[in-house]
Amino acid sequence: MSLRGHYKAAAANVQAANFLVIRYGARYCALPSDGVRGVLTKEEAGEGRTVTWVGATYQDVDLAGLLSTALDTTSSDMRTVLFSSGHSRGAIRVDEVIGLIDVDREQCRPLPPHFRREERTWVTGMIVYRDQLVLVLNPEWVLGELGEVVTVGAGDTERRAITGGIR
Amino acid sequence: MLRAARQQGQAVAKKQSWNVVIFSIGGMKLAARTEDVGGVTPWGKEIPVPSRTPFVDSLVKRDKDVMPVYDLASRLRRALHEDSRLCLVARHVDGPMAVCIDADIPSLHTVDAAQIRQSRRLDIETLGSFERDGEDIEIVALHRLGRH
Repeated sequence: MSLRGHYKAAAANVQAANFLVIRYGARYCALPSDGVRGVLTKEEAGEGRTVTWVGATYQDVDLAGLLSTALDTTSSDMRTVLFSSGHSRGAIRVDEVIGLIDVDREQCRPLPPHFRREERTWVTGMIVYRDQLVLVLNPEWVLGELGEVVTVGAGDTERRAITGGIR
Repeated sequence: MLRAARQQGQAVAKKQSWNVVIFSIGGMKLAARTEDVGGVTPWGKEIPVPSRTPFVDSLVKRDKDVMPVYDLASRLRRALHEDSRLCLVARHVDGPMAVCIDADIPSLHTVDAAQIRQSRRLDIETLGSFERDGEDIEIVALHRLGRH
């Protein structure tokens, strides 16, 4: 498990928010870093629909699909981000993990008002990092589908694994 | 007094004509009031956003500014050339908005108000239409595009 680096997009500040920046092709997204439980290589994560790491099971989350893009499975930088929020856990495969960043909260801007529907809940803001526009994703949206799948179709064993929670 | 009357007459004459920008999308000629156009720039890098707002599903970044993109071409069912496109900045009521247009440089025209008639199109927001060189040109209401 390794993170490449911890960059600062702005001077350290009590008003700072911390994110893990990830990449799919030319798209950059960010997840709140407090939900990140680990970053695994391809070999560490394996090929299955779930990833078990340090006694906890993480269900595969197709974030690339949610973003209407595709995972570049040939990327040597491909990683699996182990993420949890509330009672849900997800293993998110990404083309690359860029790293952890600190951003002044005032630098995190909302989507323009022209976006009027559910996306305002899905994307909680946007930041510019190294001249790239980064979409800040709502962890509940990212993991929301997973929660539904577990509630409707999973057996008791898996349900316990999901709701057991790592805090 | 005579001068004042003449100036008033000129002002009325100005109101009786519209200044428009004529541009094209996928070969279809359209117009917009000049006051609804914030500028024309080269097309920038588009960043897709997961979205359910019709025709608003990406952003363009230009220096420090980030603008939503209104996909007018898709709404009009027109295809744009990937390599040669321009960005028309619309002065929308919600803030500046980018519209991707053909690479043909938009041109300024003055249209006599009497030439403007009610639009027959109901599928996009328009302010009317006029005929130029035998072609019917719709005046797109850029300021309220996508707001019904």
